Amino acid sequence: MLDPIKEGAVWAIMFLPLASFAIITLVSFLGLTRSGAWSPRYSGYLTILAILGSFLLSLWALDSVADTDGARIGFDSHEWLTVGDLQVNIGITLDGLAAVMLVVVTGVSLLVQIYSQEYMREDEGYNRYFAFMSLFTASMLGLVLASSVLQLFVFWELVGLCSYLLIGFWFQKDSARRAALKAFMVTRIGDLGFMIALLIIFTQTGSLDIDEIYEAAIAGAIGSTALTLFALGLFAGAAGKSAQFPLHTWLPDAMEGPTPVSALIHAATMVAAGVYLVARFYPVFAVSEDALLTIAIIGSITTIGAALLGIVATDIKRVMAYSTISQLGYMMMGLGVGGMVAAIFHLFTHAFFKALLFLGAGSVNHATGTFDMRLMGGLRKYMPITYGTMIVASVALVGIFPFSGFWSKDEILADAWADRPWVFVVGMAGVYLTALYVGRMIIMTFWGEYRGGVQAEDEEHAGDAHAGAHHRAPHESPALMTLPLLVLAVLAFGAGFLNVPGFHWLGDIIEGWLPHETEELLTHTDFKLWIAATSVAIGLAGLGTAWAIYQAKMLDPARIRSFLQPLPQLLDNRYYLDYLYETVFVKELVLGSARWGLALWDEYVIDGAVNGLASATGWSAEQLKLAQTGQVQLYGGVMFLGTIAAVIGILVVNP
Amino acid sequence: MSTSLEWGLLAPEFLLAGWAAFIILIDLFWGGLGKERLGWLAAIGAAAAGGLSLIWVGDTKEFGTLADINDYTTLFRVLFCGIGATICILSARYVKDRLLHPGEFYALILLAVIGANGMAAAHELLTAYISLELLSFSLYTLTAYAKFDLRSNEAGLKYMLLGAFSSAIFLYGIGLIYGTTGSTQFAVIGDVLSGDTSDIEWGMYMGLALIIGGLGFKVAAVPFHMYTPDAYEGAPIPITALISALAKAAGFAFFLKLFAVAFLPLIDDWRYFIAGLAVATMALGNLVAIQQRNMKRLLAYSSIGQVGYLLVGIAALSQDTASALVLHLIGYAVTNLAAFTCIILYYNWTGKEEIEDYKGLAQRAPYVALCLTIALFSLAGMPLFAGFTTKFILFQAAADEDMLWLAGVAAFFSFVSLYYYLIVIREMYVGEAEEKTRFPTPWLEYTALTVLIAGVFLIGLYPRPVLELAEDATATIFVSEELESGEDLVGVP
Repeated sequence: MLDPIKEGAVWAIMFLPLASFAIITLVSFLGLTRSGAWSPRYSGYLTILAILGSFLLSLWALDSVADTDGARIGFDSHEWLTVGDLQVNIGITLDGLAAVMLVVVTGVSLLVQIYSQEYMREDEGYNRYFAFMSLFTASMLGLVLASSVLQLFVFWELVGLCSYLLIGFWFQKDSARRAALKAFMVTRIGDLGFMIALLIIFTQTGSLDIDEIYEAAIAGAIGSTALTLFALGLFAGAAGKSAQFPLHTWLPDAMEGPTPVSALIHAATMVAAGVYLVARFYPVFAVSEDALLTIAIIGSITTIGAALLGIVATDIKRVMAYSTISQLGYMMMGLGVGGMVAAIFHLFTHAFFKALLFLGAGSVNHATGTFDMRLMGGLRKYMPITYGTMIVASVALVGIFPFSGFWSKDEILADAWADRPWVFVVGMAGVYLTALYVGRMIIMTFWGEYRGGVQAEDEEHAGDAHAGAHHRAPHESPALMTLPLLVLAVLAFGAGFLNVPGFHWLGDIIEGWLPHETEELLTHTDFKLWIAATSVAIGLAGLGTAWAIYQAKMLDPARIRSFLQPLPQLLDNRYYLDYLYETVFVKELVLGSARWGLALWDEYVIDGAVNGLASATGWSAEQLKLAQTGQVQLYGGVMFLGTIAAVIGILVVNP
Repeated sequence: MSTSLEWGLLAPEFLLAGWAAFIILIDLFWGGLGKERLGWLAAIGAAAAGGLSLIWVGDTKEFGTLADINDYTTLFRVLFCGIGATICILSARYVKDRLLHPGEFYALILLAVIGANGMAAAHELLTAYISLELLSFSLYTLTAYAKFDLRSNEAGLKYMLLGAFSSAIFLYGIGLIYGTTGSTQFAVIGDVLSGDTSDIEWGMYMGLALIIGGLGFKVAAVPFHMYTPDAYEGAPIPITALISALAKAAGFAFFLKLFAVAFLPLIDDWRYFIAGLAVATMALGNLVAIQQRNMKRLLAYSSIGQVGYLLVGIAALSQDTASALVLHLIGYAVTNLAAFTCIILYYNWTGKEEIEDYKGLAQRAPYVALCLTIALFSLAGMPLFAGFTTKFILFQAAADEDMLWLAGVAAFFSFVSLYYYLIVIREMYVGEAEEKTRFPTPWLEYTALTVLIAGVFLIGLYPRPVLELAEDATATIFVSEELESGEDLVGVP
């Protein structure tokens, strides 16, 4: 319809939010905010404006890509640097996959920013918040558009850094700091895999261009071991960012950030990056059966494991965090069974209903001052808009016909049935568990009688900064917050219609960029009525179970718990993974070995002497003697031994 | 010697030496100039020497049989003079507040730069050794310069005793090399070793090992690193910065040239040993850094970790790795100086140097806190900053030389290092300062800091110009190999 998009316009999609970040930072540093020349509100408007611009340009990009049926629009790449064989280019990848992601990211981000303008109104760090949000969005857009793996990795790391800054936004809170650090470090464990994958692929193909890597993978130019290692390294990075088992532990804690940040992280930016990465390299994954199997297994474990955790969580944001992890598991499952299109389609629909659920949770918090569902209840009377939109999102999440989640989840299940039936069974079990925790969440939050909100709770446990506000009776949130909810509700309902049986508009765009050889490897299935009917029936059964337990009280949860032991205990302790990582791994292994190294080299040898000497009250000959006779000789001794080792080492190598 | 020496080639070094004498005289006869201005004067001398060395850009000349004046030398001369000038500027306030005899202090810094220049220029072992000693003795003295501070005295003494020991090891190594190859010229040694290697005596290998030990001390590789934390903590802070930037860069300039020109033919014999040193150095430096509570000690251990990354470049030595190594060295020097600038500024304001003392810095000096954050992120290898780009290029080059495992280990420790830098960053931003007043703004230091931070971004975002300089420089030490590979190309369609 429109003219094909120009390269400058595509760059602008990323640079607009980046410019907004730069301006806000500059303004803060020049002290204009303190002097009052720049009202903090301007930062919000500027961010909204910049992201609105990006969103419109993204629509243009999507339109251009739709004209080419999702095939890549060629832009020249620009040489960034050459070292010997290593030539690194930077440039733009604009194809169906990227365009769909752009629209999701900018669209959700836009709504989140509008919502934030109200939600963060009274926060002191208002400027900082919008600066980081701009940078976060810009990094994610840069990641989507990257045409070389290195460029992608740079933005990948920036996304991680921004998440650290935003999760730890209320850094006065100890829990927020710890959550931020955890998110950063855990995802970086995965990033190490990504980094090593980068090193491997270059030694194998001599290029970092994504296109050339595709060609090499399809042509079989990469050894199969190296290819699998590369794919698994990438997947390690994706598993970190997309919170897949066993690197998922950071995501539930990440809700320590402001709620709109959680919405952005869970819907469009951070966690979507991992799924995008695997999809972006699908031509590589598609030729490695081992890698696909790994993805399918990890995705399945994540789906079920996280859904179970969602059933026992009492914090509404935690329920949603586990729900996100579980849904990401679905996407990975889809990728693992050759359903790249289904996975990205699910990412697309999930972005809307999950953003809606989080913003709804924020709205509930705005009214009650808490995130603890045990203190809520009965809110549907007080907050009709929030309630109504949350219901739409929940139904979409469970996957009831004809809401958006139904179409995308169904496609994953159909692909699973065609490719790996055991994954299909796991997916169906996941549907039941999803319905169970969603039903429980809705009943505990909105049904029954109001249980007092923040007044019933310690100040200390209160969630967001709003907690201190004086909430008596809960009330509906202001229009600036409900408007994004309504828009998202429409999308959560209708986004699925872009890719329904007989009308594969979105699906065609998503797969249009794939090389011909890869496209043949994808799983293509037709709509199967029995699968759709079964999944809806199972979803309804799950909702019914939730109703029976939590509303009608036909079954006593305590008895179910004791019947299922030790599973509930395992769930309460989150499979002991946090314990394993923090206590066993970090404290004992890493810090322990560091302490050991320190003890050996430092405490005995260095600190003993330095502290003994320097902190001594007076300078005495004896102490000088100590320094001369004891320590220096010891140092010299170690050096001498090192030299002997060097001599022996080199002589051993040489006959 | 029959050939007449072209003394003019050493003009920058003469200038530095003359300027050092000039500074001492000024200090003696014109006390009214003030300690601070003396530092600026010294900086001008160092900068002028750096500028002067630009005359030989693109030249390949030899100073007798002792030293080369080519792009490699020029690059490092400019780098070392730049470091020297920056340190003089940064010392000005510190010296004024805390030290006696400023003239000798600055003169010694300039002499250290001469030594460093000599190490990069030398293509013969004894010249390199004498330059190394000039650098080292200047540093020993400077380390002990705060003569009423026990830590400084002790550090200087330890540094000197151990340095003397390592010099002895190094000299013995030179002796053995000379005995077995018949020359101290890098190129001649390289020729001897690239021929038939079956009759090379074991003394040659022993000499090589001793030289690695001696150089290991100078660049602070594990297990020759033990003096580093003491020297770093005890020395006056600007001198800590000088040791971490100048001594390391000069050590590697020499290390790289010696191994590329003289010992490259034996690379299979020593690469795994250097790789082992690299792993030990990265592991110990980074793991012990996590436990530090003192800022200078933290940077000492972190710099040991950085030496590990640089050793990766030596272990996977080739022309590409050498360029990457030089690039990383430049990036490291710039980043490290930026970090030290912030620490010196903070010390000048408060006299404190524990990590805990940095709490609330963001409230009292937001610009310094931001710059220190950038520098630390760069050291941790975060993208956008020099540290990521240079490390990536270096690791990539190493992986390309079949040292993927080593590059992987290096990447792992680089990721670990983020943790302890974050501790510092957290203190600055999260902690509440006891006093809320803003610190005064010293414009000169802020300008220097801004320039350094701009350098961090430049190398991080657009490294090509600097990388090209590094490639031109390393091309001169890989001349022979280039010809060989050129010959190989003949006959390839």
